[in-house]
Amino acid sequence: MNWAIVSFLAYTGILIAIGVWSYRIVEKVPITKYENEFYAAGRGLGGVVVALIIAGGLASAGTFIAGPGMTYAYGYSWVLINNFQIFMNLLLLAPIGIIVGIVARRVNAVTYLDIFRARYQSKAIIVILTIFVTVFLLPYMATQFVGAARVIARMTGMGYLTSLALGSLVVLVYCVLGGMRGTSLATLIQGIVITVGCIVLFVGTVVYAGGFQRSTEILAAQDTNFLSPTMGGAFPPMFAFSLACLTGYFIVGMPHAMLGALTYKNTRALKRGIWMGAILVLLWTLLLCMAGVIGRSLVPDLAVPDEIAPWLAMHVVPEALGGIVLAGIVAGIQTTVAAMAIIITSSIASNLLRELKPDVSAEKVKFASRLTMGACLAIAIGFALLQPRLIQWIIFFSIGGLVTATFGPILLGLFWKRGNQWGAIASICWGMVVYGLANTIVPQMSLWGTHPSFVAVISSVIVYVLVSSATPPPSEEIARTFWGKR
Amino acid sequence: MKFDEDPRMRVSRKILALAWLFFSLYLAAIMGLSFTVGTEPYLWGLPRWVAIGNIIVPVVFVLLLIFVAERFIPDVPMTEDTGDTEEER
Repeated sequence: MNWAIVSFLAYTGILIAIGVWSYRIVEKVPITKYENEFYAAGRGLGGVVVALIIAGGLASAGTFIAGPGMTYAYGYSWVLINNFQIFMNLLLLAPIGIIVGIVARRVNAVTYLDIFRARYQSKAIIVILTIFVTVFLLPYMATQFVGAARVIARMTGMGYLTSLALGSLVVLVYCVLGGMRGTSLATLIQGIVITVGCIVLFVGTVVYAGGFQRSTEILAAQDTNFLSPTMGGAFPPMFAFSLACLTGYFIVGMPHAMLGALTYKNTRALKRGIWMGAILVLLWTLLLCMAGVIGRSLVPDLAVPDEIAPWLAMHVVPEALGGIVLAGIVAGIQTTVAAMAIIITSSIASNLLRELKPDVSAEKVKFASRLTMGACLAIAIGFALLQPRLIQWIIFFSIGGLVTATFGPILLGLFWKRGNQWGAIASICWGMVVYGLANTIVPQMSLWGTHPSFVAVISSVIVYVLVSSATPPPSEEIARTFWGKR
Repeated sequence: MKFDEDPRMRVSRKILALAWLFFSLYLAAIMGLSFTVGTEPYLWGLPRWVAIGNIIVPVVFVLLLIFVAERFIPDVPMTEDTGDTEEER
């Protein structure tokens, strides 16, 4: 009997049960409160769940598979780069958590775009953002499914398609049936599984390798660049700094991370979400990335570096514990997919639908929510059939596009009273053009070797300020809603 | 545009500044130390910059964040009436 498969199937069964249980709760909610329950879990989530939703949502296959894969390929330099993401919860919840929490209650916002709608009162912005959020999140979701399928296939011996179905359909069940309620409960269980899985993998790897000193000596014999903070100049400080901005200051624009800001119960939950999130991301990032480098000293010739985490799970820990590691890695991916599915669905089925058809009934929104979520996940699973090889760069591309579109409009929109819809539209469009050019025909736009998102975000913020300053200020009603005393 | 500003907005701005200052200090510490302390064996035989920049500094800053968040982020009511008791469920 393959214990890895048994323990993984047990974990999957629990998730399906959560989906069915959440479905029953959501179905009991009156139709008038359905959106509030489905998208914001009744705005009553505590600190631990908020911490896990944001941390689990942002720490994706990029952390759980590509993270150790990159450290396997590039040594300790990539541990340093991954360590920049440790304070994601702080950089999301602290800057905008309170103001989003207050405004969301004032205007009864339950989705990410509800905040934009209230701030800019522009149909164009909703349409533009829905398009860009969907365009960047769908391939991002697909990479998550690819990562999960590869891990399951590698560890269980099942085929890629079977593994893809097993890893993705369960997300479909608890997201579509339970919405944010199902996602939050699943995330709580997944957070525990992820953390236990990371600890087991790290301890097993260090013991198997004979300790840090021995693995360091072997790495030095293979290539001294593995011990360099820049990988021998391959990742200069300016490139590292631009990635620190992408996963640090700019993270405030990530739509699926906004879920935590919309759903936390009170400021006590917000504070706990901030520091608990940092502890969790530190554990996940550091343990897996260190395991990836040490793994290089054990097996120096893996054809696909991203396979180091499943390889370690299969070889350095007992079979049953390997199943927990497998479940942990897949859980980390599933939390991200669930958060993304909620965001895309709310953008299309709630915001876009209401913009295009203002008199749509609550019943139709409910139906559209489940239909859209099912369709988005199905499309992402369809993309995953293409099996792209380098998922880390697709992930960075998607994150860069999302923060380029949203960083200026969300941050300046919340803190600068003079910012208006024209500034937001110009900023989004400018940012997308610069980001597109820097990624394709004009790579030299990425100044000083930085990631393309760096110049795109900075310049789009400048455009936001210039255009807003040159056009009429927002209405007094908007100012009172966002900053006024009631 | 004249209106009385909600005092919680000032709190929100201060927390934004606090978060960015905290992350900037973290970045300065982690990058500054990682690129300067060298690769000689240090803790458990790990290169000095790995032990300090990749392990010690992140752990210290995460522990520091617990104190900073609990000490410097005030409890503010999230609803309009001041009777919000902020009780944890």
